[in-house]
Amino acid sequence: MSLASVSETGSVPIRKRRFARHALPYLLSLPALLVCIGILVPFVTAVYYSLMRFRLNLPAMKGFIWFDNYINFLSDSAFWNTVSVSLTYALVTVVVELVLGLGIALLLVKPTRLNNLASILLLLPLMTAPALAALMWKLMTNPNFGILSYLVSLIGFTDFRWASDPRTALLTVTLVDVWVYTPFIMILLLAGLRSLPKQPFEAAALDGVPRSFVFFRITLPMLMPYIITASLFRLLDSIQQFDIVYSLTQGGPGDTLMVFQVQAYLEFFQYTNVGRSAALMMVLWAITYFLSNIFIKQWLKLRERARGVS
Amino acid sequence: MFERGRDLTQRFVKGEISRREMLKGASRLGLGIATTGFLLNEAMSQAIAADFDWQKFKGTKLKLLLNKHPYADAMIADLDNFKSMTGMDVSYDIFPEDVYFDKVTAALSSGSSEYDAFMTGAYMTWTYGPAGWIEDLNAYIKDPAKTNPNYNWEDVLPGLRASTAWNGVPGGALGSDDAKQWCIPWGFELNNVSYNRKIFEKVGVEPPKNLEDMLAVAGKITKDAGGPYGIGVRGSRSWATIHPGFLSGYSNYGQRDFDVADGKLKAAMNTAESKAYHKLWVQMIQESGPKNWSTYTWYQVGTDLGAGASGMIFDADILGYFMNGGDNKEAGNIAYAPFAANPAAKAPTPNVWIWSLALSSFSKQKDAAWTFMQWASSTEHDLFGARKMDFVNPVRASVWKDEEFRARIDKSYPGYLNQYEKSSEGSKIYFTAQPLFFDLTTQWAETLQKMVAKQLPVDEGLDQLAANIDKQLKDAGIGG
Amino acid sequence: MERVSTLERAIRTVLIVLVLVFFLFPIFWIVLMSFQNNDQILRIPPSILFEPTLANYTTLLTGKLQTTAGNLDIAFLKNLGNSLLLSTGSVILSLILGVPAAYAFARFKFRLGENIAFTLLSFRFAPPLLVLLPLSLYFKQLGLTDSYFGLIWIYQLICLPLILWIVRGYFEDVSPDIEHAYRVAGHSWWTTFRKIAIPLARPGIAAAGLLAFIFAWNNFVFALILASADKQPVTVGALAFVTASGIQYGQIAAAIVLSVMPTLLLALYAQRYLVEGLSLGAVKG
Repeated sequence: MSLASVSETGSVPIRKRRFARHALPYLLSLPALLVCIGILVPFVTAVYYSLMRFRLNLPAMKGFIWFDNYINFLSDSAFWNTVSVSLTYALVTVVVELVLGLGIALLLVKPTRLNNLASILLLLPLMTAPALAALMWKLMTNPNFGILSYLVSLIGFTDFRWASDPRTALLTVTLVDVWVYTPFIMILLLAGLRSLPKQPFEAAALDGVPRSFVFFRITLPMLMPYIITASLFRLLDSIQQFDIVYSLTQGGPGDTLMVFQVQAYLEFFQYTNVGRSAALMMVLWAITYFLSNIFIKQWLKLRERARGVS
Repeated sequence: MFERGRDLTQRFVKGEISRREMLKGASRLGLGIATTGFLLNEAMSQAIAADFDWQKFKGTKLKLLLNKHPYADAMIADLDNFKSMTGMDVSYDIFPEDVYFDKVTAALSSGSSEYDAFMTGAYMTWTYGPAGWIEDLNAYIKDPAKTNPNYNWEDVLPGLRASTAWNGVPGGALGSDDAKQWCIPWGFELNNVSYNRKIFEKVGVEPPKNLEDMLAVAGKITKDAGGPYGIGVRGSRSWATIHPGFLSGYSNYGQRDFDVADGKLKAAMNTAESKAYHKLWVQMIQESGPKNWSTYTWYQVGTDLGAGASGMIFDADILGYFMNGGDNKEAGNIAYAPFAANPAAKAPTPNVWIWSLALSSFSKQKDAAWTFMQWASSTEHDLFGARKMDFVNPVRASVWKDEEFRARIDKSYPGYLNQYEKSSEGSKIYFTAQPLFFDLTTQWAETLQKMVAKQLPVDEGLDQLAANIDKQLKDAGIGG
Repeated sequence: MERVSTLERAIRTVLIVLVLVFFLFPIFWIVLMSFQNNDQILRIPPSILFEPTLANYTTLLTGKLQTTAGNLDIAFLKNLGNSLLLSTGSVILSLILGVPAAYAFARFKFRLGENIAFTLLSFRFAPPLLVLLPLSLYFKQLGLTDSYFGLIWIYQLICLPLILWIVRGYFEDVSPDIEHAYRVAGHSWWTTFRKIAIPLARPGIAAAGLLAFIFAWNNFVFALILASADKQPVTVGALAFVTASGIQYGQIAAAIVLSVMPTLLLALYAQRYLVEGLSLGAVKG
């Protein structure tokens, strides 16, 4: 199946061939790995910090405490709140963006000039840096000067308080997240849809198969690897959300939106509690690792199946 | 002509001619106000140069870390004078305020020697000092070999000098005898009422006399002003929500954040008086505060006042000052009033924010950096900034007495001098200095948010907060 | 593809319009704001009628901010240049490193292959804060502090996993048969990779490159922590208009408009590669 197996029919001496066959994939992938491996050193440092009582402004108390930082989390309600808020946030945004992104990609799948232009224009929210976009959203949802507050007041919501009300805070940040990141999923799925092979669809059309059947039995399964890649990257970013939440509410009101990264940021930059901050981020890392493992397994399985079919 | 102007200003500085004579002479020479200002300051720089070797570090290159702020702008506008006086070169990195302290923490925690001196707030030195990132400046101020004889440290307002000095002991009194001077006050803000005169006239109210009155006035504005709400205060989930108006009013009732006994701290925000104060404050926001209060920071509070969306603010006096200029819609309509929350209190007790200069412990040229710092905090530069730029509030008593500065403020900022004078004596930091300042104060703000959102009753919320804080103090080894 | 009824076409059109309104209205409003001064932006209630001014753009482009206190220097264009340099450099490096690796993972089953691929992805798991601070220490020792090179290296954390995994998917979808045929015809591996594999996966490479560029462009925490003021990207630069004396919304809006331009142009340019996928679709599967 692989290219390497084909190459054995060539005329170059077999030993050299064999070496090349084995070495080639490593030669191709190792540079990427080497460039990233430097990052592992700070990562290990961070693991070490997470096992310490380490607050920059209490140097006298610095010491190695094994897993105490983690054990303390277990009984800390603020920590569990952070876990649940982060997971809720990630789940809600990824699901909404996936459904919306897939819908838009399907709307724009025909490669007309207008559709192509629309797909590029839809990338504009993604091109606006989230930190700056959030600043603008904060203004647009201001009860005095905000155009969005004004517009919703026209349809009867005169006292809608957006991110500042615990009941609507999650809704508001989700709205901004959806606005910024749906185009990300849309463009990946659009590219995926457009590169799907034509034959199955043509055959189905000839046989007069109902369109819902085509969508659920042909389009969706064939698109699945792209859906998994897109939602995986979205999940990685969204569970680590910082910019939008921090700019709009700093994790408030109360602890309504206290996601991992905001908490870890405060712990480090404001409280200079390096140990706790590192431990929080290690937990976040573990959750991310676990979730992406599931995604990747699924992705590989689908790929295997696709290969088996072809 | 430039030379003659220089001569004139030098004679003025030496006291040979009066100010009026000098200005008359200057106008005869055809020098504009701005040129006179520059020459005057140059002359002053020469005057302070008199008995001190300013050229000692000639050729040294300094690098500063600055926040994008009018104080930094004023310093940069005057920087050429320093360079020509000392023969030193000064470069600087300016970062936006939004990310400034992150940059400082990142630079200092990595032990970077890139920056010699930097801007900081007094609260931040409670972290930087114990972490070993900044120098005790007493070693410089008190050394005649390092500090010029005209520096006049005693001229800096005593409350500010004390508020920037701490012995590093959790709960240790600010400005105690064994305190280390972690930074030099540079410019400061105190918290009083800034209000919109047009709105006040329209509704027919006077600046509030105390907290209950503030609720009434704010309520009347919200009801009668036809749009604007009554009172702007900060509400975001940050220590910065506690430190301005809120803590100023709180202190006016004699309330403290912590009780300190035998070097141990104990949360003190759940007393009966504190609960009563919190109830009033929460009620005030619910009835006549900004709708999006829990996202309100310095910027939103100021913007609303400047754009006529709020009737008054209980926040930094210089926030009201800024909103009275620039391209703000209400520029020219803002006035200022001292505010004592407690009807029984004799005078206001504003908590203060002090922009200061600190000397990095990682600097490889500390003496040279101190040369810059003493110039930047000198009477001469303070005067220049206060007269010509927005270097307000000045930290030196002598500058507050300067006629030109007073005339400028009095003309465009009605009531500003009065609010300052009524409250300057009680102006200082009312927080207890301790290493968990940012964690615990942020939690205080979080609790306040829950109270305003009616998720938590005030009494219960404060008891919970105090219990929570006591536990953390104990964990950190500083709780009783 | 199939015949569509008029009704369906009408519904599609309405839906597309709704989508465009939702995603583009805030952008439209930001563009409007960029032609207003603060006084006009901060009106109660907000209004769509205003006298346009170019002052925000002049300020950004000339680098001089007129205030009551005098002229202040704004380094916006410098920031824009930094963003261009950092994002372009990072994406190019990522493509050079990532595309061959993606090809290797897609075409070869080799020992540790999936582990390496997953490890590369996992660099994206690390919360930036987690690595940034220790990193600033090591940067100092390596002499990389405050260098474009160091920043571009760190930007690989954002760009490389994205490019690698997206491009890998496209390589997997391209049948190896064409490559086999080409190789059997006597071409070297390298020629086959260049002449066949890359062109076939080009839409995927274009999409991944574009997205990586956008993510690199929008980042600001790396440069903020690791570099001095003269190497900051526009994202940090635009925050300079959030000042103690007020937020200059008009200038921030103008900064957003200007900072989106290069990316938009790139996207329009990349569009033809994105579309190209269709014409080649026939040879796949």
